[in-house]
Amino acid sequence: MIRKFAGAVVAALALMAGLWLMIAPFALGTQPETADWTGATTSEFFTGLGVTVVGVIGVASFVASIHEELVTRGLVTVRQRRPEPQPVPEPAPAAPQTSSAELAALLAPLVEALREDLNSTGEHRQNGATPLIGAEDNR
Amino acid sequence: MKAKVGVTALALLFVAGLWLIAAPFVTGHQPRGAAYTDATVNDLWVGGLLSGGSFVTLVAYAADALREITGRGKHAAD
Repeated sequence: MIRKFAGAVVAALALMAGLWLMIAPFALGTQPETADWTGATTSEFFTGLGVTVVGVIGVASFVASIHEELVTRGLVTVRQRRPEPQPVPEPAPAAPQTSSAELAALLAPLVEALREDLNSTGEHRQNGATPLIGAEDNR
Repeated sequence: MKAKVGVTALALLFVAGLWLIAAPFVTGHQPRGAAYTDATVNDLWVGGLLSGGSFVTLVAYAADALREITGRGKHAAD
């Protein structure tokens, strides 16, 4: 474990050294600003680029190895991603099951009331004092 | 497997450090006999630290691995 940690630290330091190598010719002033890159600048820059890339790979691999060892020892638990539960559609409330006999019993008073209403409407017309149209004309 | 990649990276960094030390003289940017330029001094310092650090780490890694292997052998003998 410690040796992997030391490796990660050294790889991180190498990463920073690579970044420094890339900017060193400009920071130290050995590369004229307007002129093309000199051979020394090109050499330092691309060496620094390679060192940076290798440093990143080293840090990543050592950190992954440390993580793997921690998981193996049971000191770190890997979170299992749970699939989000699909929303279960709520069942629609079941329509009340009514038999035709119950329906007829329910509607019977309504039908009876309608029938009485129809009959009584005819009586009102018969017993009315004057027809409405005539009353309007007499005003 | 992942640690092996890391050890390979350390070995590459060691080689890169050696290259940095040698580069000013190999590429001819440092005139022989003349005082070291700033670029040469920078290359020597960074290359020396890089190669030295990676070398020490590689040796420590190998030593720790050997110690672990011998420890396992003792347990197996018991």
